[in-house]
Amino acid sequence: MTDPDDDLIAAEYVMGLLDLEGRTAAQTRLRNDPRFAARVASWEQRLSGLNDAYDDAPAPNLMPQIEARLFPKPAKRHWLNRALTWGSAATAAVAVMAYLALTPPTPDLIATLSSQGSPLLYEAVVTNNRLTVTRVAGAAADPATVHELWIIAGDNPPVSLGVIPGDSTTLSLPGLAPGAVLAVSVEQPGGSPDGIPHGPIIALGPLTDA
Amino acid sequence: MDDPIADLIATTATGDRAAFRQLYSLSSSKLMGVLLRILTNRSDSEDALQEVYTRVWLKAAQFDATKGRGMTWLIAMARNLAIDRLRQRPDHVNDDAAMDAAADPTPRAETRLIATGEARRINDCFDTLEPDRAAALRGAYIAGLSYTDLAARHGVPLNTMRTWLRRSLARLKECMGP
Repeated sequence: MTDPDDDLIAAEYVMGLLDLEGRTAAQTRLRNDPRFAARVASWEQRLSGLNDAYDDAPAPNLMPQIEARLFPKPAKRHWLNRALTWGSAATAAVAVMAYLALTPPTPDLIATLSSQGSPLLYEAVVTNNRLTVTRVAGAAADPATVHELWIIAGDNPPVSLGVIPGDSTTLSLPGLAPGAVLAVSVEQPGGSPDGIPHGPIIALGPLTDA
Repeated sequence: MDDPIADLIATTATGDRAAFRQLYSLSSSKLMGVLLRILTNRSDSEDALQEVYTRVWLKAAQFDATKGRGMTWLIAMARNLAIDRLRQRPDHVNDDAAMDAAADPTPRAETRLIATGEARRINDCFDTLEPDRAAALRGAYIAGLSYTDLAARHGVPLNTMRTWLRRSLARLKECMGP
């Protein structure tokens, strides 16, 4: 592909002209090709004057929900009650099945990683300092991408726990505590090259006492 | 140039939650305006707003103040998420609400007496394009309309629309410079 074509695709991407397939392809290149990423950044700057067309709209204060998602407090209630009050019967059913499947041995910590409006669900359990994260609902990563696991402890930046091969991964991870957040992002094959999540966060959830 | 939003993003990147909250209070109404214009309904926009700020926290360290203004970075994040979600809607081509929202692609900024330097520059360049193509490009950028949506709206074949707009983009780049 010649350079002028690349610049045109970058422009079309920033403009928002591409269909879903075209956008996905452009986003894959964005993660893998620094020159393409630089072209996209140039177009973002070039077109930024158009942003004046957006009027402000009253935004509700969603900070409590955002912070609850990013920095959850350690759970005080039993996790099964939490799962049941969280909402969907599907989530609860999955949680119950996971609970039944997991006894014995009794896990020390558990987490449900989900995203509002998405069927994707990962379940995490920590038993004897071993963390196992398993996809229990929703689609696997498409072949051009991988799902990468992250942990966010307190106010610290996310730390990669590596790519999730297939549907499940098990890691030896001493010192995990309730309140730490596990997240799954979509990354290029092999995972994020620089230890920072680049793709969208597609599932997120706090570790709580089992 | 003075850029308080950029400063707050940089401080947020160090894990400063107070800076993150202040960033939200200074920028969320602008981003809500972006999301509402593209997604056209409030509940989807509020859901997207939560996701945008989750990403802002997680990606704040990637922001480079030498490459652009903080608000430009935030708006790019919001637009990208909103357009992704719009494209994932099974019915987006026939979404009447989106069509209505895009029916007036003229930027309201043009009616303002004071436009920023960047806005003035790009508006001057848009004025050098054929009016219907300029309107189509504005519809794409502002409301997230795809080539397919624009071809349907303007009643021209998809390939014609693509050819028009690619030429217009090349002229825009020439006019704006690198």
